[in-house]
Amino acid sequence: MPALDDYKSSWADEIELESGSLPPPTEEIDENGVKTVTEYKLNKDDKKVKVVRTYKLQKLVVSKSIAHRRSLHKFGDSVNDEPGPNSQTTFVSEDINMQLITNKEEERSNDTVLDPKNQFAKCRFCNGGHFTTNCPYRHTAAYIEKILDTKPAASTSAAETTTSKSGGKYVPPFIKDQQNKNAASKGGRDDTTAIRISNLSESTSDADLEELTNKFGRKSKMYLAKDKNTGLCKGFAYVHFYSKEDAAAAIETLDGFGYDHLILKAEWSKPQYN
Amino acid sequence: MRPLMLQGHERSITQIRYNREGDLLFSSSKDSKPNVWFTINGERLGTYNGHQGAVWCIDVDWTSTKFISGSGDMSLKLWSVETGKNIASIESKSSVRCCNFSYSGNQAAYSTDRAMGQDCELFIIDVRTMDSSLNDAQPILRLPMKNSKITSMLWFLDETIITGHENGLVSIYDTRMGREVNSVKEHTSVIQDMQLSRDMTMFVTASKDCTAKLFDADSLVCLKQYKTERPVNSAAISPIYDHVVLGGGQEAMDVTTTSTKAGKFDSRFFHLIYEEEFARLKGHFGPINSLAFHPDGKSYASGGEDGFVRIQVFDQSYHELVFE
Repeated sequence: MPALDDYKSSWADEIELESGSLPPPTEEIDENGVKTVTEYKLNKDDKKVKVVRTYKLQKLVVSKSIAHRRSLHKFGDSVNDEPGPNSQTTFVSEDINMQLITNKEEERSNDTVLDPKNQFAKCRFCNGGHFTTNCPYRHTAAYIEKILDTKPAASTSAAETTTSKSGGKYVPPFIKDQQNKNAASKGGRDDTTAIRISNLSESTSDADLEELTNKFGRKSKMYLAKDKNTGLCKGFAYVHFYSKEDAAAAIETLDGFGYDHLILKAEWSKPQYN
Repeated sequence: MRPLMLQGHERSITQIRYNREGDLLFSSSKDSKPNVWFTINGERLGTYNGHQGAVWCIDVDWTSTKFISGSGDMSLKLWSVETGKNIASIESKSSVRCCNFSYSGNQAAYSTDRAMGQDCELFIIDVRTMDSSLNDAQPILRLPMKNSKITSMLWFLDETIITGHENGLVSIYDTRMGREVNSVKEHTSVIQDMQLSRDMTMFVTASKDCTAKLFDADSLVCLKQYKTERPVNSAAISPIYDHVVLGGGQEAMDVTTTSTKAGKFDSRFFHLIYEEEFARLKGHFGPINSLAFHPDGKSYASGGEDGFVRIQVFDQSYHELVFE
């Protein structure tokens, strides 16, 4: 017959323990000096929660005065605190890394902006102390205008013709229509002067498109593809110019142009096949 | 290492201070109870209960037995560090702004605010006998400050006191002659804090004019300047490296009127000699009001407007930092 001591707790006791009171807290210290304290408590919803805390035990050799102070009794508002840190007043926050400032080059380029004497880079657009590619205004429509102005004469010949045209003799609309009709293929629409601009950002609006293209010459039609439900841009647009030169100039400038952090693609509109 | 957060105060921290050995950290806040903590694990040893108003300044002597605190309740109180018992309470005519023990711990100095028709005054008292007789003992020296209020103060050994003033003036007073010896005005705004280097040859000032400056403690020659874009509330010199740490941010009342970019509440580390910022440490969600290096230079603590004290132990990369 086994000794009675072997049955430290009967199964009935265990069931009682599970259903009612909480298991007693346990403490374990392993050979690496890591203390593990396991506690059980009830949370707000009366659910049992197991709390496991691990501590690294350290032995320090300190001067007598420090050792003496470690043994002091707590006082004031802490008089009732247990030995060891009170979780009410002391806790460990998340790890925070020191941010080293090592980017000297960035600092230097900032310095040149601040100090006008040391300007080695000059923006062709806003005349600021930076390279044109770094210009903060480069994604705005005004930038195109500037580029058109500063482009070598050969490439802007197309633009020039448009300006001379618009500034030159008045052409009555019906004559113009006739000219267009000559060029037009079947039907009323001429697709040869239309360009397709793609990779537009979602936030592009009609006004943006207008602003983007109105420097190149007169347009007959403009279509910005929009989502039916959301009204947001679907990423492409068709612009019909009156003259083919204007359209060519637009393609040349807008193809590869950075607008609203996206690089646009501009090409001739392909005729529709029915 | 993960930083320790000490939450013993209900209001913004006004000053923190390590004792000489660095095993204790004292903190005071605008609530009325200064706290003392063990730096090793962030355990709170106790609170010094007795003040009626905001505690503006604290100091501990080199033996870590005496602790003084100056408060807005117009009193300077002396405490026993180990038991938290109030030993003496010295009444003043206006709130006590700065208080310091001398190097030997035999004397203490405190300054009062210019308020309620009272001029700002500097007092020096003898604290060798620590008992209630101090309550009505006469001060050794009483110096009225004619020009500007004292906002920060330092003892240089036992003979001289360095004061920082509301208008940016830094002055040296000889306590035995009882008069001003030297003064310079390098700052344009309030000097919030001054801390000595370990060898006590230099000290760093923190001013609301967005700069911290390094001065020679004897000649008051301005040696270096650390510029930021926000008011500096506290600055401390590393005891082991040529580093200066600056803490600041705009005042709580100005938060709504400044851009969010200006309100960065990091501690900023500058090289003492090159005057160049090399690192930042985030943490507080309000301006930092007080900073202090652990005497061994391996950790530092900061107290902020958010009411937290943070003890951050530097990781290995900080110690391996090399400047080209």
